[in-house]
Amino acid sequence: MNDNRNSKEVKKDFWKSLKDYNNDPEMIRIKENEFLEGVTNEFDESGLSGISRRKFIALLSASTAFAATACTDYRDKGEIIPYNKRPEEIHPGKANYYASTCNGCANTCGILVKTREGRPIKIDGNPDHPVNKGKLCSKGQAGILNLYDPERLKEPMSGGRKSDWKSIDAEIISYLNDSKISNKEIALICGTVVSPTVKNLFDDFSRIYPNTKIYPIELTGDRIRREAWFDSYGTYDYPAFKLDEAEVILSLDSDFLGVEGNYIENMQKYTTRRESVDKLNFNRLYVAEGRLSATGMMADYRIPISPDKQYQFVLMLIKELVKSGSSVNLGNEALSIINNTSVQVNADKQKIAHLIRDLNSNRGKSIVIAGDTLPKEVHIAVNMLNEILGNTTLFDFSKSFKSVLPFAAPDQISRLIDSMNNGNVGVVIHLDSNPVFILPPDYGYQAALKKVTATVALTESENETSTLCKYSLPVNNQLESWGDSNNRYGVYSLQQPVISPLFNTRQKESVLLTWISGDAASYNDDLYHKYLINYFNQNIFTKANSMADQKSFWYSALHDGVVLFSENKNRTPFNSGAFKIRKESDREKGFTVHLTESYFLGDGRFANNGWLQEVPHPVSKITWDNYAALSPSTAVSLDVEMNDLIEISVNRKVLQLPVMVQPGMSDSTINIELGYGRTVIGDVGKNVGINPVQFMSKNNIDSPFVYTNATVRKVEGKHKLVSTQEHHSLDDTFVKDFHRIRKIIQEGTVENYQKDPHFLHANKHEIFGITREHKYTGVKWAMSIDLNKCTGCTACVTSCNVENNIPVVGKDQVEKGREMHWMRLDRYYSGTPDDPVVSNQPMLCQHCDNAPCENVCPVNATNHSPDGLNQMAYNRCVGTRYCSNNCPYKVRRYNFFDFRDHFADEYYQNNLTSLINNPEVTVRSRGVMEKCTFCVQRIMEARSNAITEGRELKGTDVVTACQQACPTNAIVFGDSNDPESKISKLREHNLAYHVLEELNIKPNVTYIAKLRNTHPEGN
Amino acid sequence: MSFIDYSQELSVVEGKPPLRSLDDLISKPLETRPDKKFYIALSITLSMLGLFVIGLGLTFWYGVGMWGNNNPVGWAFDIVNFVFWVGIGHAGTLISAILFLFRQKWRTGIARFAEGMTIFAVMTALLFPLIHVGRPWLDGWLMPYPNQHGLWVNFTSPLLWDVFAVSTYFLVSLIFWYVGLIPDFATLRERTSGKIKKVIYSTFSLGWRFSNRHWQHYEMVYLILAGFATPLVLSVHTIVSFDFAVSILPGWHTTIFPPYFVAGAVFSGFAMVQNVLIFVRKIFNYEHIITLDTLEKMNKIMLVTGSMVGYAYAMEFFIAWYSGVQPEQFTFLNRAFGPYAWAYWIMVSCNVITPQLFWFKKIRRSIPVMFVVAVFVNVGMWFERFVIVVTSLSRDYLPSSWAYYTPTLVDAMILLGSFGFFFTWILLFTKALPVVSIAEVKAVVDDAQPTHKDH
Amino acid sequence: MSDKILYSYTGIFDTPDEIIHAAGKASEHGFEKYDVHTPYPLHGMNKAMKLPPSKLGYVALVVGLSGALAALLLMFWMSAVDYPIVIGGKPFFSFPAYVPVMFEVTVLSASIATVLTMLFVFFKLPNNAHPLHDTDYMKKVASDKYGISIQAEDKLFSESSVQKFLNECGAKEITAVYYDNDEIAHKHKILEPKFIAFLLFTAFLTSGVTYFTLNKLLFMPPFDWMMEQAKLNPQSVSEVFSDGFGMRKPVEGTIARGFTPYQFAGQPEVAEANLVNPIPVSKEVLELGQQKYDTFCSPCHGYYGEGDSRLRGQFPNPPSLHSEKIRSWKDGRIFHVITDGQNIMPSYSGQLTVEERWAVVHYTRVLQRALNAKESDLQ
Repeated sequence: MNDNRNSKEVKKDFWKSLKDYNNDPEMIRIKENEFLEGVTNEFDESGLSGISRRKFIALLSASTAFAATACTDYRDKGEIIPYNKRPEEIHPGKANYYASTCNGCANTCGILVKTREGRPIKIDGNPDHPVNKGKLCSKGQAGILNLYDPERLKEPMSGGRKSDWKSIDAEIISYLNDSKISNKEIALICGTVVSPTVKNLFDDFSRIYPNTKIYPIELTGDRIRREAWFDSYGTYDYPAFKLDEAEVILSLDSDFLGVEGNYIENMQKYTTRRESVDKLNFNRLYVAEGRLSATGMMADYRIPISPDKQYQFVLMLIKELVKSGSSVNLGNEALSIINNTSVQVNADKQKIAHLIRDLNSNRGKSIVIAGDTLPKEVHIAVNMLNEILGNTTLFDFSKSFKSVLPFAAPDQISRLIDSMNNGNVGVVIHLDSNPVFILPPDYGYQAALKKVTATVALTESENETSTLCKYSLPVNNQLESWGDSNNRYGVYSLQQPVISPLFNTRQKESVLLTWISGDAASYNDDLYHKYLINYFNQNIFTKANSMADQKSFWYSALHDGVVLFSENKNRTPFNSGAFKIRKESDREKGFTVHLTESYFLGDGRFANNGWLQEVPHPVSKITWDNYAALSPSTAVSLDVEMNDLIEISVNRKVLQLPVMVQPGMSDSTINIELGYGRTVIGDVGKNVGINPVQFMSKNNIDSPFVYTNATVRKVEGKHKLVSTQEHHSLDDTFVKDFHRIRKIIQEGTVENYQKDPHFLHANKHEIFGITREHKYTGVKWAMSIDLNKCTGCTACVTSCNVENNIPVVGKDQVEKGREMHWMRLDRYYSGTPDDPVVSNQPMLCQHCDNAPCENVCPVNATNHSPDGLNQMAYNRCVGTRYCSNNCPYKVRRYNFFDFRDHFADEYYQNNLTSLINNPEVTVRSRGVMEKCTFCVQRIMEARSNAITEGRELKGTDVVTACQQACPTNAIVFGDSNDPESKISKLREHNLAYHVLEELNIKPNVTYIAKLRNTHPEGN
Repeated sequence: MSFIDYSQELSVVEGKPPLRSLDDLISKPLETRPDKKFYIALSITLSMLGLFVIGLGLTFWYGVGMWGNNNPVGWAFDIVNFVFWVGIGHAGTLISAILFLFRQKWRTGIARFAEGMTIFAVMTALLFPLIHVGRPWLDGWLMPYPNQHGLWVNFTSPLLWDVFAVSTYFLVSLIFWYVGLIPDFATLRERTSGKIKKVIYSTFSLGWRFSNRHWQHYEMVYLILAGFATPLVLSVHTIVSFDFAVSILPGWHTTIFPPYFVAGAVFSGFAMVQNVLIFVRKIFNYEHIITLDTLEKMNKIMLVTGSMVGYAYAMEFFIAWYSGVQPEQFTFLNRAFGPYAWAYWIMVSCNVITPQLFWFKKIRRSIPVMFVVAVFVNVGMWFERFVIVVTSLSRDYLPSSWAYYTPTLVDAMILLGSFGFFFTWILLFTKALPVVSIAEVKAVVDDAQPTHKDH
Repeated sequence: MSDKILYSYTGIFDTPDEIIHAAGKASEHGFEKYDVHTPYPLHGMNKAMKLPPSKLGYVALVVGLSGALAALLLMFWMSAVDYPIVIGGKPFFSFPAYVPVMFEVTVLSASIATVLTMLFVFFKLPNNAHPLHDTDYMKKVASDKYGISIQAEDKLFSESSVQKFLNECGAKEITAVYYDNDEIAHKHKILEPKFIAFLLFTAFLTSGVTYFTLNKLLFMPPFDWMMEQAKLNPQSVSEVFSDGFGMRKPVEGTIARGFTPYQFAGQPEVAEANLVNPIPVSKEVLELGQQKYDTFCSPCHGYYGEGDSRLRGQFPNPPSLHSEKIRSWKDGRIFHVITDGQNIMPSYSGQLTVEERWAVVHYTRVLQRALNAKESDLQ
């Protein structure tokens, strides 16, 4: 056995080791198991070390597996529903624009409504409209919020209960027929009528119901002006003024740059004569007024004079100017009045001297404008003054203000109310009018209304009148309605709906048509649409003598939004007999109360519009309130200051109002704005401010707006007025004139600019940085704002709000200084409290090249884009507020709350109001910083367009929201890298300066210094 | 390396107590059940803590709008409290590190406690940067970590430097504190009889054996840590002051801030430590360990730093005038005579005038008086931060954006609550850990060190 | 007792001077594996024991410096290389701003490193299984006595000699310290059910929390990164409208800017009379026409206009385009049908622009011509 094993082994010609070779039995034993020592033996649990790695890792991986599975599930991001048949003109994600007409006020400017997927999201001016030329005021722009107002009237109401149109129509028609039979009056109360079609409709209505009377009434407006014009020239249609041709403009309490006439048009014309960039072309503006109005802020010379003294003032001017002749022959009667009445005007002698000299030397090249709120006599006197000076050359009759339907005179209204009380009125129809609120209380309209059985209110939302009516019927918003307007000669503008009614509302004209037809079933949605086309074809089409056929002409008119044709009336001579000596009321003692139109609420119809409530007052910067404005010295004499309550009593009517000390007001004059103090309205507008209509009286000697012999006394208590700007008394030396000392506002006079064009940068330091600058190739965005043209109208602010989804924060938050406006209008006073010099400055993110905000953000949430924008990554922002602290302009805005959720307990936090938000702009959550982006969404759109069209992006491709809205084109935006561009020329201009230049943060917003066209000092 | 030569100096621990008695005395609070007084104190601090929680809850739920902060004044109580507490947190490390380097052996009695306060103060301070942001759940974004956006943080932002500075300061102080605690844990481990306590102490003492071969490295580490902590403690408030100094806001943009802030921090820190110690030494009968001399020395430091702060106030005005920059000049006039003058004069009277009383030895050594003074100092230092933060913001470059700041109830709750948070920790500390370093105190008892006669 | 392994002999002293003296003697005697235990560091002890100075300083130095360098490099890479962003016009690499962070990182890394090295590298802590623990000796040196312990591993060690030595130094309570057997024998039982239960618990907790955070919490405002915004994006639902369609149709009869509506809706004859094909025939036009035809028309009308629908009767097949009637139609009529639809054929104005429609008209003509060609075509 051994041997043959040996023999076997011997044959082996290889061995693993010598041992092996020597056939060591040990080795042989080892060889029996093929593995080496220690690999396989003693493999048992007990031998293992304490921790079993496998088990442990198994457990670990188990837990991670759990975690992993936990992360896998993704939630559904919501349905996607496309058009099942896409309308030809709509492309999802692209905006459409519809030309239409604004009916926020009687001016009916042409508007361009921006829609996304068939939903309106912004309103701008219609560039093709000859009057407002593509611009629009705050009211018009913010008006879009009324469409999405959560408290719109959604269903027809009968006796305070929901009902349906059909039955209500039937009932009303029967009422109408009854009063037709019983020969009772049918009173149709409406606002200013601007639409010829509606006039036509009224005629049809009166044809069917012969005893119908139409009562157009307004709280404010140009009624007095028209009546005065009627007395002077025998027509209610008064001409527009060629402000752009006037060398000297004298405004007597006329806020023609604020809320009077078509102020957009006025601003545009006026500022064509405030040209300092390309050529120096300045007019001179005198303002004689009792309050400090938006127009007053622009004045080169302000003469504080109480509204009840205006007649004296005009008379004084006439006396002075007639001396050096008159361009018309005034009758002896008038002359005798002029010569035989003594006037005393206590105002700054030198200013008066300047005024008279300027008017004399600019006969035929000057304009005197009287304010809407002044009594008729003043207007007539002013008409005469213009005749004397031969300024009628500056009257533009081709664009006269047309009176489609004259206002109801006070006595007509009284008569109506009498017959209401006597039960001679069968039906009262309120056509989107609110007489209970706007009629002076001593008419006793409210009481009379109760005596009428059938009372109807067609209204967008419940108001003081509709709640007293039997029926309140919801009507379409302007953006849901057809319509037209022809309130100016030669301009016929059309209104088309941009969305079908959101609720069970109807177009008010269609409702009337249904009643005319006498059959409730006859209603259908485009009743009025057809009626309008019909009227258009019969009247406008014929007038416009166009080549095209009716249909395509209609379509093109609708497309443009406006039809132009020449319309002119031959002028009538001035009837000097209208000029009468005015019965002077004893007005030396007591205060004068001056009621003026609110800048943003109109006659209160916009009171439920959060945006408009929050836009700061152009002068006082106060939001969410009206107040009694007093001159500083008057305040002292009454021993009151801001927020104190005073009790004002005007012929036995007493109201308590908070005091606002307004520099520049005439003494013992109190200015109160109308349109506040709505009681029946949505939560936003309810009891905001006090309603001064209480003071108004139907038979007032002056005008419905001026009341003398008021008594005032201080009462206990305070009412906090909140403003977006701290109020410092003007003679507080501690902080006086900082805006000038710190070169925030840099101004000069036309004269010293002519002398030395470089006066602004006379003593300028060279500023340098220690690091090399970043180069910006391609487009670099920059903005310039011409302070000569800025009237502080806040159109830019509102435009920005709408464009950029800026929330309403409410009075309490504004009080805390948390308003969210990306763009604000800073107003600075210098000079004396009695004669302040006002400077306006739109302030927005300056997009500094060396932005201090960027350095301090710990997470890079704000940084610089390659095209020079200081950009915010909202979603990266953790909200340390450090950037805001380090911003020298304090233009950053912080979401202290989710304001949509916080304001008036979620008032605007609903699906309806959300529709207004611009889909292209993030709706910021709470805890996030935000600020002006130079409308980056528009830049991006322009860029993508440029790319699709395969061309370079140009600076002119982008128009920011504020720029688009600015009525006077004070704002210029563009590419500062392009040496040819307007903006880069402006940046180099002699009058150009940057705010806080010395910080070397290199702002990209340039301001063009304001020049004042005053007389050289001394003479 | 040579260890501190204590043999020549006066006795820091009065009356040469036997070493074992020190063990007993210092570990007594740990071995006895807390008494009624303790529970009363705790319930007070806890209810303050409750306010804290409610205040924060409201803030988280509704947003920072619950506070008084407004548009110009983006920072108010939140950051004021932050700076205040960080300041308080400066005494501890200063005592344990700087005084250590200066061989001030009187520090031994108070070092441990001061360090404890440092840690709790910094914990309190750390809360404020976290809660003052609008979206606190995103605080993590202040840390540079790789993320799917590929975004990093902004290293030029002082706020980011803060994140690093304060967290580093917290960690290093914690380590410092713990290293100091190891031998004491060991001592306790050897004393205790309770099983659980034994486990806990064993774990924390890491099996320390008082071996001299360890002591040697231990001292080395202690020295190194002290060496690091010294510049650190100076850097922390310097960097906190950068939050303001690096900005361009008049009243913030000031080069004097770093030294001025550090001095102020030490000032307020010592005041707070002194306040608390006065109670501790009484309640736990440590009068002979935390001696009156020690307190007096602290008061001297307060006198010095207080005067430095006063000097800084004056110098700010001078520089503002000297700079010739109008907004700068106005800011300081505005502090003294503007709408916030009241705050300014509270600050001056508390920080500059009151501590001057310490020139008098009597006052330095009278416990009630020094206590009151220290309280004033703390109030004053809080107002100093208020003046710096709020008044500068409320009236900066553009007069159009000026606004007055008024705090809300929630602000007050959070301020009060932060004290609750702090003192709750202090109370628990006194019952959980030796509030005086056993090993170090033993080392400074007379005759505790060899005389080396035989050498 | 005898089976225990000896660790060392220990002696207790009462005063610092004695222990210093003893330590000195021990080192002179040449002991190496011995140690002195004191409740607090004794001044001069290191000298007496002849211990070399500690090396910990180097650790601090090295780690500190590398920390600083790492910080600098990282910051440079982050803000100048990986994702450069223009911040306040500063250079991408702005060193001065990095100094504070560098400093902090230095201090932090250095101090942590030093402490950890000391505890875990130098001291080999934690070590609660050391034989000296739980001895009476340790109790004493922890409080107020000073002890020396000479270990059995020392080469000069022998029980008798060491006892003698200690006696000579004047040590009291000389005792032997032994290893604790069951401490040596002790095994960590990591897989106790308790431990597993704990692991499972953490596993579930982790996954639960993760799930909630990632799938619920992060989608709740305000945590949702503004995913839910109060605005209406294209093609989304809105409850405001009864039909739920967020995208609305324009009102009948309105005209958007730059849009000319089709004037002959519902008046085929008028359309036929007035509309003329404005586009001349060309290869491109026909190709466009074919492409559009094949895409939009062919599904029903068939590729050759024979009305052979591919819809398998889901819609009634349309008549052939080659009928006498349709061939006799003017272009305008066909255009009208495409634009306005006819019978069940919907309008294709949404899908085809005006030009495309005319192109399709041309293409239809081609198809018709192809099917009934004239002789003239053959040449």
